[in-house]
Amino acid sequence: MNRFNFPTIKPDPALEELRSEVQEFLISEKEAGNFQSEPECWMSSSDPEFSRKMGARGWIGMNWKGYGGHNRSALERYIVTEETLRFGAPVGAHWIADRQHAPMLVEHGTEEQKEDILPRIAAGEYYFAIGLSEAGAGSDLAAVKTKAEKLPDGRWKLNGQKIWSSGAQHAHYMVSLVRTSPPDGRNRHVGLSQVLIDMSAEGVSVKPITDLAGDAHFNEVTYDDVILPADALLGEEGGGWKQVTNELAMERSGPERFLSSYVTLEQAVIELQGKMGSNAKARLGLIYANLRTLRGMSFGIANLLEQGISPETEAALVKDLGNTLENKVTQNVRAMLSELPMSELSDTMKRIINIGVLRSPPNTLRGGTTEVMRGITARQLGLR
Amino acid sequence: MIDTESLIAQSAAKIHERHGGRDVLHGESAPTAYWDAIIENGLHLAWASEEAGGFGAELSEVAGAIWNMTPAPVPFVETLIANKLLELGGLDLAEGTASVAIGAADGKHIIPFADMAEDVVLFADGLIAQYKSKDLELHSIDSLSPDTDGIADFSKANPINNMQTNISRFSIEAIILTLRCVQMAAVMDGALSLSIDHVSAREQFGRPLSKFQAIQHQLAEAASQVAAANMAASQACAALSQDIESAWHEAVIAKVQISDSVEGATSAFQQVHGAIGYTMEYDLHHYTRRLWTWRDSLGNEHLWAKKLGDDLASKDKDQLWQGVTTGAWQA
Repeated sequence: MNRFNFPTIKPDPALEELRSEVQEFLISEKEAGNFQSEPECWMSSSDPEFSRKMGARGWIGMNWKGYGGHNRSALERYIVTEETLRFGAPVGAHWIADRQHAPMLVEHGTEEQKEDILPRIAAGEYYFAIGLSEAGAGSDLAAVKTKAEKLPDGRWKLNGQKIWSSGAQHAHYMVSLVRTSPPDGRNRHVGLSQVLIDMSAEGVSVKPITDLAGDAHFNEVTYDDVILPADALLGEEGGGWKQVTNELAMERSGPERFLSSYVTLEQAVIELQGKMGSNAKARLGLIYANLRTLRGMSFGIANLLEQGISPETEAALVKDLGNTLENKVTQNVRAMLSELPMSELSDTMKRIINIGVLRSPPNTLRGGTTEVMRGITARQLGLR
Repeated sequence: MIDTESLIAQSAAKIHERHGGRDVLHGESAPTAYWDAIIENGLHLAWASEEAGGFGAELSEVAGAIWNMTPAPVPFVETLIANKLLELGGLDLAEGTASVAIGAADGKHIIPFADMAEDVVLFADGLIAQYKSKDLELHSIDSLSPDTDGIADFSKANPINNMQTNISRFSIEAIILTLRCVQMAAVMDGALSLSIDHVSAREQFGRPLSKFQAIQHQLAEAASQVAAANMAASQACAALSQDIESAWHEAVIAKVQISDSVEGATSAFQQVHGAIGYTMEYDLHHYTRRLWTWRDSLGNEHLWAKKLGDDLASKDKDQLWQGVTTGAWQA
């Protein structure tokens, strides 16, 4: 019996055609000077104008039908997203809404929410932020204290604070995990629910937090007596824990889990063209083999998702291996570049490798730390 | 791409269970009954086409059989490869145990399972030549593995059969590396199972080792390497099934990935076992010693990574990306 489920996917010419279209667009945008390639672009590089262009081409909202969606496969979406990562394009504004919240609304949203919000996500106009972590609830997510209290008229009153919410300062909506009823004794997983929050609502305030690279992409978001409509509840009241677990499993296996630093490697290959020594070649070959393997695993899961299967452990394995690899890529690029005098490196290379180093730490933190991933794997192995 | 449920794979599992007892795996009894059962079931002919006298099984099924026969105390994989080579040369398949070598027709080459193979098939610049082991001056070489590898000087022996073909060395390397990678992934997986069993049973400080987070995380990390090895081997199998001529890069990638994974995985397996894992009496070394041998044989991760890097350096950034995403290689 195979211990894990990682199907091998045959190459598909139709997908390669789509890839060429996306590449053509990205090359022309880059050549026009509309963006500079950056590591970790899906988190830190936001450009609403670029997002609208992606939307106009039908490359956001690819996986749902109706409501502005394009009814294409998870594999097609995979091709589009991996190409944008390869180019380090400014896809940060729409990434989270497209990946995470649109599918959630498709499943749990009201008709009105779907009609209002989904077409604008697909157009690259509406952005979302994630409201999971709190000051006292990081890896221990069930410790969240933000509270939504049901009012007699069915509406909700929200109080509390979320932290590390990337893109909240530009987001139109946020989906937060909140407590709607007390825990059942020691079982803290009950009584949690997910709510949709309009960021323009009264009582919502956003305070950007500057990261060590000097960027302010993540935020502290405070809810002070925010009144939410009754239909702000997404999914089941009290079913938030299960929903979040499923949601995280779906978002842990994508290409952004191992390609965040790819632009660094590509720039190094350009930089060392015709000058690569045997040390750099050996490192390039090893990284290439690691990347190819990870891509196989990640794409295999995309295929399972397309069939409606969401493998939690396999996704955790991809995230663990992929995040380690992202940082390994950056370190190997440093080693490869040692074959050139520092003074000969292009400004682009220096900029990219510096950003790459500075943006390494969150790779193994966000979306569940490496330690949390290993806990998931250990459970599957029967160790806990 | 590794079908462990296929009929062939199931029959391999039965043979391993029935004849792969402790005395056989520990080398205390000869694996005669084990090999006889392989012959009786025709598994050694499974991969060769029906026209050539084989069963024409899919590689995925054959890979499943290799997986289920892990760690095999007999040259099953080597015989499968030898028969595939004989088929490619249009020669009669080997009746019994066989092994393979690759290199110059008059050179000295390493032969896995040399002490057990009755025949040796050499691939040399398109020449496929079948030798009787007894005609080769075989010397066993110092090896980490429980299996006995040998070295032979082919310039001093005459083949019993041979055929010049236009098959490239790349194709043959793809075949040999891919099957070796399946073996390695399977052995790594087997060692993980053994480690899970051990930490679940062994108690210290009043509880099973498996309840310590430090142990859980070591094995979880090792499991990620096992999963990567499985994917790399599967991807190599997929490429080889599609087209032998263009399968080389995926096979080399798999050998780099899996050999690279060995150290992380085996050091965790040895560590969580403690001293018992370091004994001849316990089974872990059947797995780890083979992995330590196989990561180096047929070229280790450093050698192949350099070749891959060399190839990539001679192309451009687009090849790198195309390779990562599709595995395809520019002409």
